[in-house]
Amino acid sequence: MFLLNLSLLQFATLFGAVSAISVALYLLDRSRRKQVVSTLRFWVAAEQPAVAARRRRIQQPWSLVLQLASMLLLLLAIAQLRFGAIEQAGRDHVIVLDSSAWMAARSGNRTLMDAARQTARQYLRALPARDRVMLVRADALATPATAFESDRNKVEAAIQSTQPGSTALNLDQAFDFARHIQAQSGRRAGEIAFVGTGRTAERDPGAAAPPRNLRVLLVPDAVENAGLRKIGMRRSAADPDLWEIYVSAHNYGPRARQAVLSLDFGPPSAGRMAAGSRTLVLPPGGDAEASFEYRTAAAGILGVRMTPHDAFNADDQAELELPAQPRLSVTVYSNEPDLLKPALSASPRVSAAYRKPEEYRPNDPGLVILDRFIPPQRPAADSIWIDPPALGSPIPVRQTVEQVPFARWDAGHPAAAGLRARDFKLDHASVFETAPGDGRIGEVDAGPVIVARSGKPKIVVFGFHPALSALRYELATPLLFANLLRWVSPEIFRRWEVAGGSVGAVRLVLDDDTAAKDVTVTAEDGSAVPFTLRDRTLDFFSGAPGSVRVLTGDREYMYSLTLPQLWDTRWTPPADVRRGIPRFAPSLAPAADWWPWLALLGGAGLLAEWLLFGRFRIARFVSRRRLVRRTAEPVEVGR
Amino acid sequence: MTSTPLLDREFLEKLERLAIRWQKSFAGLVGGHNRSRFPGAGQEFLDHRHFHHGDDLRAVNWRAYLRLEKLFLKMFQVEPRVPVRMLLDVSASMTAHGGDKFDYARRLAASLCYVGLVRLDAIEVHGFSNRLGHRIFSNGGRHRFPTVMDGLSALQAGGATDYLAVVREFIGTYSQRGLVIIISDFMDDGNCERALQYLSDYGHELMLLQVWADEDRTPPWTGELELRDAETGAGLKLDFDDEARQRYTRAFDEYADAIQTMAHRSGGRYAGIATSMPLENVIFGDLIRMRGIA
Repeated sequence: MFLLNLSLLQFATLFGAVSAISVALYLLDRSRRKQVVSTLRFWVAAEQPAVAARRRRIQQPWSLVLQLASMLLLLLAIAQLRFGAIEQAGRDHVIVLDSSAWMAARSGNRTLMDAARQTARQYLRALPARDRVMLVRADALATPATAFESDRNKVEAAIQSTQPGSTALNLDQAFDFARHIQAQSGRRAGEIAFVGTGRTAERDPGAAAPPRNLRVLLVPDAVENAGLRKIGMRRSAADPDLWEIYVSAHNYGPRARQAVLSLDFGPPSAGRMAAGSRTLVLPPGGDAEASFEYRTAAAGILGVRMTPHDAFNADDQAELELPAQPRLSVTVYSNEPDLLKPALSASPRVSAAYRKPEEYRPNDPGLVILDRFIPPQRPAADSIWIDPPALGSPIPVRQTVEQVPFARWDAGHPAAAGLRARDFKLDHASVFETAPGDGRIGEVDAGPVIVARSGKPKIVVFGFHPALSALRYELATPLLFANLLRWVSPEIFRRWEVAGGSVGAVRLVLDDDTAAKDVTVTAEDGSAVPFTLRDRTLDFFSGAPGSVRVLTGDREYMYSLTLPQLWDTRWTPPADVRRGIPRFAPSLAPAADWWPWLALLGGAGLLAEWLLFGRFRIARFVSRRRLVRRTAEPVEVGR
Repeated sequence: MTSTPLLDREFLEKLERLAIRWQKSFAGLVGGHNRSRFPGAGQEFLDHRHFHHGDDLRAVNWRAYLRLEKLFLKMFQVEPRVPVRMLLDVSASMTAHGGDKFDYARRLAASLCYVGLVRLDAIEVHGFSNRLGHRIFSNGGRHRFPTVMDGLSALQAGGATDYLAVVREFIGTYSQRGLVIIISDFMDDGNCERALQYLSDYGHELMLLQVWADEDRTPPWTGELELRDAETGAGLKLDFDDEARQRYTRAFDEYADAIQTMAHRSGGRYAGIATSMPLENVIFGDLIRMRGIA
């Protein structure tokens, strides 16, 4: 006799809890109910005779005994009490089928996945018919493909539909999951059968030992593979049109290999042009790197290919999406354009056009700079007004001051970041009347002389000409213009880094000044990707091929995670682990199933208790009927 | 004051065709809609009598004089404005079992007030427990009904009932006889029948409306109970089962019958009303059958 679904301890705990609840409810039901009534005069007449009360107290314990016995029977039914030897009961097995990216490698005329599927089917057919089987697909994540199933066809269909994923095998997690799910099933644990090559991602040295009921069905593989592992790209700091490209390849095989890396670039839909090639010598089990440079300001797709191809093609090529290099178009309306040219020509991302005030057009794109000039119609784009006449200034002029020392910069405003110069005087300046929300970038004692108004369009107003005042001798002048251009169009000055790599976990070390609130990680469909940020290290996980964008203030990282994640080490099973397809004993006669009868008996016991002792329910029913009858009768009045 | 009105407009419109009725004749002011056996300055002919010195010559039947050469005086029926007073039980027992009884009683009182207002009857409403409470005067037509309803809504329940004290105070306050409508559960520990009989013997016509909750008549509980009287706070512990419930209900019905018998014996009327019955059914069913309203 044994319990199929619960251990004896679990059963005893459950029965103890249920019994305690039953006894508590019983005592509560029999305890005095406190009630406020309109009067006691009728209750006195209804008091129970002493004889009847004594008889009921003798009978009530049987109600409790019957309740507890019924609960016991129902619990035994739930625990599936069985008569016979425990060996006759079926077991629950878990097949852990390796679905890592490496399983797509070819071995002879078929893939490793085909071989693993065939082995899993053989194991499934060897299991006794009374046993249940769960299929778990294991790559970086362990995913159950079926529940514990007695129907072999369902499990076979799940095995057949298993395909190689994009990530490397996380063997420890797969074993943990199988062990956990087996412990929760309630039936006798069978075997955990691992079917795969055993090539895993880097393992945690402190991971638990393999389960004792593990059976290993290894699929033989010949490792002659070399592939791309990492690709990094960034625009050169000196020349923004120049891409610096870094490619890393790895040789997984035991012999040295020679491979050719070739790059091409072009728009996604049209043909691509060759962008460079290099020959690499890959030592056995080692890495080799190559660097390229490619000049383009256009957006497009950069393809990286490694030849000759081998048994695993998926890591021989990768594609990265390169963003275009945007430029800020600045239109300057000035009679003295030479004053502003040095400040605007410093950045290669700015293309400036200089026009006379008479040639003014209100619809210029980008940024418009108005030098001591009030246009008939305000520009639709963002604008910088330099020393505008008081009549017509976009920000009202409060007063005009002369020969005043410059007082302070607003260090909290991004346009004034890093500005220190204060030891100069302004011969003549307009002090502005700011509104709430305006940025007071530079001030004299009388008030702000450089004001930035955010919104759409953004407006910056100088109360003096920086190139015609003492400020022109200060280092702050080009820095101030650079800050203003960055504040007006932050997307133009954003720094890009493009990386190609394998799917899975990605770790990125951010700049020191990156604020956590400025960090966003999005997939290519725009959905947010969960990430962690500890100190300066950002981690996220991508389980499927695709691109991920990491935006951190003025820097954007683009990850093209199209390469498959391959293994780092080969797992060697312990020597005492069972191997090969087993031969189980022929099926024994199934143990007798008693749970339906126990459930029926338990239910009948509760029903009997309700009928015999359920005075509360019967009385309530009777009283309700009488009440209905009474209220339905007409009241005798008017006699 | 409660936020929701006691009665809705639709129900009030239905009440407008009703009128409060009384059976006795009382000497009172002219007016109203109930006929009196007393002669007086009414519109409808009652009888002739011989002319006496000082009688009003306008009432002499001159046709009879011409024919018989004797002076006969025409007498007319008086249509008196009988005082209608309503006593509404606001003792703590009305709030037992969730306060349904108290709300129901207030709605019933409001309905009768509206019927009286529509017929230009004057109704004085008193809450009472161990003495008469604040008076709500209901007269002057239906437009005065919101004031009455506010007064009823503002009533607070509490205290123990003392019918003898209340009746003594009532008789001391109102010497003029009239119709007395008592809305109560009549659940006191004293003998309320004697007090009601006293009121009737003094000359008032009684209309007793006994309101009870279902739990008052058939308690749904079973087992060992610890009871507390809502008015006196007295306690009682007992075992309660189906047999005890039958005895309880029997005692309750006997008590209700005793009150009903007392009311009928003294020429009054009685209606037992369970709060589970819709108020509209009570007004248009039981109260019309008992001829309390018509």
